[in-house]
Amino acid sequence: MRFVPRQPREGINVSDTHPLVEAGTLIVGLTAIFALIALALIFLIEIALYFIPVEKEVALFENWLPDDLVTVSPNDDRLNQAQLLVDRLAFHWSDAPYEFRVEIDDSDVANAMALPGGLIVVTEGLLDQVESENELAFVLGHELGHFRNRDHLRALGRGIVLSMFFAVTMGNDESSLGIKVADLTLRGFSRKQESSADAFGLELVYTQYGHVNEASRLFERWDDGDHSLLDFASYASTHPNSGDRVENLAALAQRKGWPAAGKLTELKW
Amino acid sequence: MEISNTESIPGRTIVQFYGVVTGNTVRAKHIGRDIMAGLKNIVGGELVGYTELLQDSRKEATDRMMEQARSMGANAVVNVRFATSSISQGAAELFAYGTAVKVE
Amino acid sequence: MESGFLQSLELILNFGLPFILLLVAYFIGAWIEHRHFRNIRKRENENVEFPVVSFDTMPDDWSASSSTLVSGSVVVSLDYFKRVIAGLRSLVGGRIKTYEPLLDRARREAMLRMIESARLDGYDAIFNVRLETSRLANSRGDGKGIAGVEMLAFGTAVKFASRFARTP
Repeated sequence: MRFVPRQPREGINVSDTHPLVEAGTLIVGLTAIFALIALALIFLIEIALYFIPVEKEVALFENWLPDDLVTVSPNDDRLNQAQLLVDRLAFHWSDAPYEFRVEIDDSDVANAMALPGGLIVVTEGLLDQVESENELAFVLGHELGHFRNRDHLRALGRGIVLSMFFAVTMGNDESSLGIKVADLTLRGFSRKQESSADAFGLELVYTQYGHVNEASRLFERWDDGDHSLLDFASYASTHPNSGDRVENLAALAQRKGWPAAGKLTELKW
Repeated sequence: MEISNTESIPGRTIVQFYGVVTGNTVRAKHIGRDIMAGLKNIVGGELVGYTELLQDSRKEATDRMMEQARSMGANAVVNVRFATSSISQGAAELFAYGTAVKVE
Repeated sequence: MESGFLQSLELILNFGLPFILLLVAYFIGAWIEHRHFRNIRKRENENVEFPVVSFDTMPDDWSASSSTLVSGSVVVSLDYFKRVIAGLRSLVGGRIKTYEPLLDRARREAMLRMIESARLDGYDAIFNVRLETSRLANSRGDGKGIAGVEMLAFGTAVKFASRFARTP
């Protein structure tokens, strides 16, 4: 046998597909799949919620407080006033299923939360910012709106199931893509919930005071950028942007014929 | 195209030889196989998913090697050897190499 | 609107930055690869007359006056783009097409280095060529991720006893 020098053809061990094309298909395809999975899980949670009636929730979470809550003294006048305000507002919601409790968290960041069992937590930071009782009434009313839609349970359920799912299926860095996609999908839903809670809150304010003056003043202040970014960011991460909320609320008031002018009630502390 | 892992094709003689030809593929498993393998790691037994994966890879690598030989004008590949290695988590590279020859 | 700006900034940081990094890694990597392939083809053309085979016994018409073991090796690294794509691939399965040019280059480079070092020492042919791949792990504690892939080619190089040892 003799040696004859020859070379193989170029490119047999290499695929034709351009790498950017392959990258693009993979990213787009996987994003779509993750979004679909997130939607499916959300649907499952809705079904689960259907099977947990409010009575059971109240029984489970009555007198529950989150572990990391640092509350102000029970003799704090603000606490009593806030509780009275919530009771008065809830009075207008005739078939309210919860006995609402108010706690004040001593954080400087403005925030208000609706927690299982009818617990409303507002921060000192928020109380420092409100300038009239009407503003505070709207914030509390907004939280009552969340209770009405059972949003607080939804958010909890979604968070748990999603993080469980993604931890199980992937132990690698690509799970971050999945979590980001799911996060974006969730925010769409979350914004809808917030708008619905806003509308209910405004309605309660109108029923209580006969007008909606200054109800959304808090958001207007945030929108003007009077406050530091930190305050703004923590409250607004899953909420619609403040400017839009002010506009939507004004439009709602106009539609329903709620007067936008009226005497403000002073804060009682 | 005939291939063999011996010095020559049994019953034939080599008249010309051209050089080393190689074929390789890199394949990844998908999440389904991974989960099944995880379960199998508990009970033991053949990981059918992976067996299939590597068989397909081997066939593809061998095909590419024969393609290279064909493009050189050879009609057989002798002294074929295989090598497997894991390139990264979840991906295995498989390559086949041999010498492209002309037999009669 | 401030909040709009913030939201889009967040979006950019979350998705845009890794994306830009990916593109940069891709373009630079592609250019390096292209240059390397050109270099490889040039050297292969120069060495085409040098016999390299994987027979484990020497062909009959060669008679060797001396022989030695020769080897050539190269370590290539996986760039960010390739690693990300491979990670995504391992979710859905299939051929990782971005690795193929890399491994092809590595193997051909290793073979060329082996041939060139044999040639430099005055050898005339190589037989019993073997190819090995090994992966080098990252120095991170959990061993996750790899630093690179090593390709090794080795074989027995021979010097022909006379210039006419190969029958035409």
